Amino acid sequence: MPRRVLIVDDALFMRNTLRDIFSSAGFAIAGEADDGVQAVNLFRELKPDLVTMDIVMPYKSGIDATREIVQHDPSAVVIMCSALGQESLVMEAIEAGATDFIVKPFRGEDVLAVVKKVLGE
Amino acid sequence: MPEPHKYLPLFLADAREQLEALDSELVLLEKEASGGAVWDSIFRRMHSIKGSAATLGLAEIVALAHGAEELIGRLKSQSGLPRRTDIDLLFETTAALRKRVERVAAEVERTAAENVASDRSIVERLEQATKALPLPVAVAPRHAQPLQLAPAPVDPAIPRLDVTIDLSKACAAPGARALILQRKLRSLGTLLEMEPSPTQLMQTKGGARIVALLASTRSLEEVRATFAGVHEVEAVEVRVAPALRVASPGPAAKGKNELKIPSSPPPPGKPAKAEAPEELRPEATVRVRAQALDQLLDQAAEVLHGIARLREAARKLPEAHAGIFETEVDRLRRTARELHGRVMDARLTPFSALTERLPRAVRDLSHRLGKEIDLEVQGADVELDRTVIEAVGDPLSHLVRNAVDHGIEPSAERLSKGKPARGKITLAARRERDKVLVDIQDDGRGLDPARLREKAVVLGVLTPDAAGALSEQAAYELAFLPGLSTLAEATDVSGRGIGLDAVKGAVEALGGKLTLHSVPGLGARFTLELPLSVSMANLLLVQVGGELYGLPLHRVVATTEYDLSARGGEGFEARSLAVMGQLVRAYSLAKLFGLPSLAPPGPRPFVVLEVDGVRFALSVDRFIGQEEAVLKPLFPPLDRVRGLAGTTVLGNGRPLLVLDPRGLSELAESSARLSVAKGVA
Repeated sequence: MPRRVLIVDDALFMRNTLRDIFSSAGFAIAGEADDGVQAVNLFRELKPDLVTMDIVMPYKSGIDATREIVQHDPSAVVIMCSALGQESLVMEAIEAGATDFIVKPFRGEDVLAVVKKVLGE
Repeated sequence: MPEPHKYLPLFLADAREQLEALDSELVLLEKEASGGAVWDSIFRRMHSIKGSAATLGLAEIVALAHGAEELIGRLKSQSGLPRRTDIDLLFETTAALRKRVERVAAEVERTAAENVASDRSIVERLEQATKALPLPVAVAPRHAQPLQLAPAPVDPAIPRLDVTIDLSKACAAPGARALILQRKLRSLGTLLEMEPSPTQLMQTKGGARIVALLASTRSLEEVRATFAGVHEVEAVEVRVAPALRVASPGPAAKGKNELKIPSSPPPPGKPAKAEAPEELRPEATVRVRAQALDQLLDQAAEVLHGIARLREAARKLPEAHAGIFETEVDRLRRTARELHGRVMDARLTPFSALTERLPRAVRDLSHRLGKEIDLEVQGADVELDRTVIEAVGDPLSHLVRNAVDHGIEPSAERLSKGKPARGKITLAARRERDKVLVDIQDDGRGLDPARLREKAVVLGVLTPDAAGALSEQAAYELAFLPGLSTLAEATDVSGRGIGLDAVKGAVEALGGKLTLHSVPGLGARFTLELPLSVSMANLLLVQVGGELYGLPLHRVVATTEYDLSARGGEGFEARSLAVMGQLVRAYSLAKLFGLPSLAPPGPRPFVVLEVDGVRFALSVDRFIGQEEAVLKPLFPPLDRVRGLAGTTVLGNGRPLLVLDPRGLSELAESSARLSVAKGVA
């Protein structure tokens, strides 16, 4: 059964990029969210194997969303997608429970390399 | 990104939409003071354009958006309305971005270099405008970071592992990567050291080597595999740490791990050939690993034990040889004691080791709570043994948090009470004979004796009548009862389930004391009374119920014999004895510990002890003698037994429990109260 991923990013462009990367690598797209509130709700509803999480988003930041998701399910796998120069935010996200991170701009193989490692494949 | 063009139409649609929204929001900005929702939205949009453009490798767009994002971030943190010129510059930026985006749409971006110059001037002006604004006040972290001043001691029996991890050169955020590694290290055992720390690696570029010392029961292979599977980790090496470190009983403290001790002065006599130039001369101090000092102390203690054993053995020698042997052993003992003393001195650590991080922590916490608080530290250079420093970190941090959270009122409330808006917390350490006193004083609302009485009644600790009868001071002391300080408002700052009872317990386990003074409306003061070190003790050895115990000699006022059989025999709970013309309460040590007394009827030996100026006597079965011993802390569950101060090993290798006179006096008092109560019932 393919792994199911929830993509969270407020930029449609980034969501589509990630969707392409994951689809072409045989993942199933469980859902997409464009803000932190929606991300938490969708996570509870869809129980994906993996979440990619943007940090700067409307209504609720990716850090707060990650904290809530991990509180809800401590085994949740959340990968932060951050821009260069956001290291302190990434560190805050890791303290909030994020599993790992990727730094934009990224290549498809970078994303898949991180994902495979955190999923232990 | 493979095949970037595939994503171009998406990027263009997204960017156009964001730019349009940006323009309409910028109009609103001129009317909105910073910090509002519009600012957040503008920041996000600019950030999103930057991220998408970076993914497509559109460097000019990234540069413009980045410059604008920085300026917006800075403007966001200012108070008041933004300057007209800054808003105009942002409009100019969105116009330039739009032009750039349309050029990308026309697929000319990659070849055309024109217009780049004008973009650069915008980028430069954005940078200047950003620099012209004051730096934002650091925002308090969103979640409370426990202060973690002192690590918990780690069982010396757990193997120590040296873990070396090499990060790949491609690693874009080594600090964040190190934080993930730190979390994994902690999941495997107790992390004793990590060098460099995640914060030290922040903002560094490229590869890094991280070295960690881990106390863990996992196999080397298991530890290695955990890290080999982490992204951007190039190599992992796991080894059992050298025995010297394995044997170290002391907890290693991150950051406090090296202490400075003075090296020996240069030998007198003829001067060196040529004076080295100032900058080449080595410092007069050397850095020593704190664990090495723990090790030294342990070995100095072992030497003392060894000498004590020699003295034991000497007793069996024929008298003709014993004399000279004992003289030599005594000389050796003096040297060993001096060595022990010097190691103790080298271990002295200034109080500032504990307080250095407090101002920042207090500021962060108070910001989060919307309070204004100044922290003043006095006596930062007062020195304590590092064992004490380490053990007192958590209690101290808890008391300071408590003052920030519950003590100091919000500014508005303070002003309405006629107090200055800014609260003040003072941390003052001072040396007093063989003790160090630390006051944690705040000028906040103080403790409410009425509330404490009420809570004690609710918890069923006191009847309403008993609570009402308590003196003011006694009512404050209720705060130290289990559950009382944690019952009320458990906030996320100090209400972490640790109550004042636990703080008091931790201080007392150290041989210290915690007291409290409060004036409602004016503030509270907690005083920690700490021993300078936890170290050598001269002990009076006594036997009770077939067991040996040690009593610290400095608490012993006298020893005496008394025959109680004439006055009701062994049935006594608490009686009085005349000691040096003074009546003192007498208790049976056997009874206090629930041991059988094996002494024959007739006169019984008594030890007279003094605690806080109050004398009391304890009956024992037999006096054994005196001995000097290194006091070691108690391990669970013994550390919870009242009346015990520590353990030690005698010259003959026999382990011994050392009694705590203060605890004994409290134990005796409560048992006496109990027996009085029984008598009444």
